Amino acid sequence: MSHSDAKNIMVYVETVSDTPLNGGLEILTKAHKLAAARGEEVIAVLIGSNLEHAANTAIMAGADKVILVTKDNYEMEVYEAILTRLAEKYKPSLILSAGTLVGKDILPLVAGNLTTGCAVDVMEITDKDGNFVFTCPVYGGTVLNDLVIKGTPAVAAVRSGAFEKELVVERTGEIIKEQVGVENTVRAKIVEVVNEMAETVNLEEAQVIVSGGRGMGNKENFRLVEELALACHGVVGATRPAIEAEWVPRSHQVGQSGKIVAPKLYIACGISGATQHVSGMIGSGYIVAVNKDEDAPIFDIADVGIVGDVVKVVPLLIEEIKKIQSL
Amino acid sequence: MEMLVCIKQVPDDSVEISLDLGTKEPALIGVTPVVNAFDTYALEMAARLKETFGGEITVVSVGNDEVKNSLKNCLAVGADHAYLVKHEKSESLDPCGIANILKKAVHDIEGELETKFDLILCGKESTDYASSQVGLLLASKLRLPVATNIIKVEPMDGIMRIKQETEEGYRSIEAKTPCVVTVQKPDYDPRYPTIKSKMAARKKEIKELSPSEEVSSMLEVIRVFEPAKRVAGIKLKADNEQEVVAQAMSVMTAAKVF
Repeated sequence: MSHSDAKNIMVYVETVSDTPLNGGLEILTKAHKLAAARGEEVIAVLIGSNLEHAANTAIMAGADKVILVTKDNYEMEVYEAILTRLAEKYKPSLILSAGTLVGKDILPLVAGNLTTGCAVDVMEITDKDGNFVFTCPVYGGTVLNDLVIKGTPAVAAVRSGAFEKELVVERTGEIIKEQVGVENTVRAKIVEVVNEMAETVNLEEAQVIVSGGRGMGNKENFRLVEELALACHGVVGATRPAIEAEWVPRSHQVGQSGKIVAPKLYIACGISGATQHVSGMIGSGYIVAVNKDEDAPIFDIADVGIVGDVVKVVPLLIEEIKKIQSL
Repeated sequence: MEMLVCIKQVPDDSVEISLDLGTKEPALIGVTPVVNAFDTYALEMAARLKETFGGEITVVSVGNDEVKNSLKNCLAVGADHAYLVKHEKSESLDPCGIANILKKAVHDIEGELETKFDLILCGKESTDYASSQVGLLLASKLRLPVATNIIKVEPMDGIMRIKQETEEGYRSIEAKTPCVVTVQKPDYDPRYPTIKSKMAARKKEIKELSPSEEVSSMLEVIRVFEPAKRVAGIKLKADNEQEVVAQAMSVMTAAKVF
């Protein structure tokens, strides 16, 4: 598909229980800035049911138009076809979505249908002489690529935490209901959805994250990380080894294959600082690291590094922080 | 059950790749090429399915002669046949280009082996570029069902029952056979080759295939650079923990962290 007349930014906003996910809202805010600079519009696409409230939130986050498509259940093939039809009708120059499992499933297929390319794990989008430039990590984030997409529209899945959400209550926008006829021949059908997580872990929006790694030693010691997080009103994070050792559920994972986070304060306990992990938390405002190995790479990025035994240091930190918090 | 596993050779992901400031390219010289970790999980999943349900495993990759080593390694851990689609500049291909080549390879291999694949497995992403798109696009081009991020697949009454990992848990998916899956790390590790299996693999031939007609890449890299470095702050060491924590707390309070 090649359209010299292609304009506007289309954003697929994923919803769960009729509520838009933050990733989509963050992208709407970024898209609003990009589109406004070009004198263009942001078109949000929401698929599901009972989405009127979600549509208003999308407008507050930056959408000029919100397209609502009614569907009962998520099916990758149906959603991918709907987004393709809408792209053909509205002819955007850019299609964005959060890089969730759903976003990373449907966007490459939409790009394939439209004979264009798709960038994933996008960390930044800039508008350079009318072309969108996407910054993407390679080799686990030690090297970055700036790339352009030669087809139209450009399609990109954005990594969590890349942009900040701004909700402006006064913003107004238009809500459009679209009926999109899609062949009902799902080849891979979802027959059951199971939620195994006892709690929701909102690492992306946390102001404070306290994470533990292999250096915590065992499950019992990992409880210290949880206590410290509680003392700082923070959320518990973890590295892949701590997840694999089953000290904490995988919804807590920070890093390239987990969540990308940018809290104001990040406390890393018993974490050596492998790229896999660091690339997920390097955007943090202030980093504190506790590790017994003074050559650990985590100290190269920490604002304060404490060389010492986590099992001795962390309880003292908890004590001190509790004192400050009670003042 | 006849299975095809798509393999990508990547630089060893346990090595930190930095940017060569002279060439402005990732410094890959001296980094051992390995089979992409997620592809090794896919191959192990296939090997276990073969043990239960029978059939054969074919591996295929796209690249130059160097990739034959990786394919040999696959032959030593469960693969029966190996094919290489010869391409001297496979790194210049985008996911769609790779999927196009693999689509032709699927037909070519099915013709040569006089078989039809029931299941095509890919890793969920590669450890180098991590675009996580080839499996999806291959399925789309072959008009086959696809499920990504899977941790289990099992044939049952003519369909594939698939367990897909999600952020909150999992989804059960049923797909018609044949289908494509992209594999996440399951709760087991890939097997190691034995001396015997290595010897046997060495004797096996790696057959070559020609690529499909080239489609120009939709993605163009215009700049390669290193992420901004964070400046290290202060590192505190002391004989006792009380002292070091007290020092750290005063630095943090001064920085108004709390």
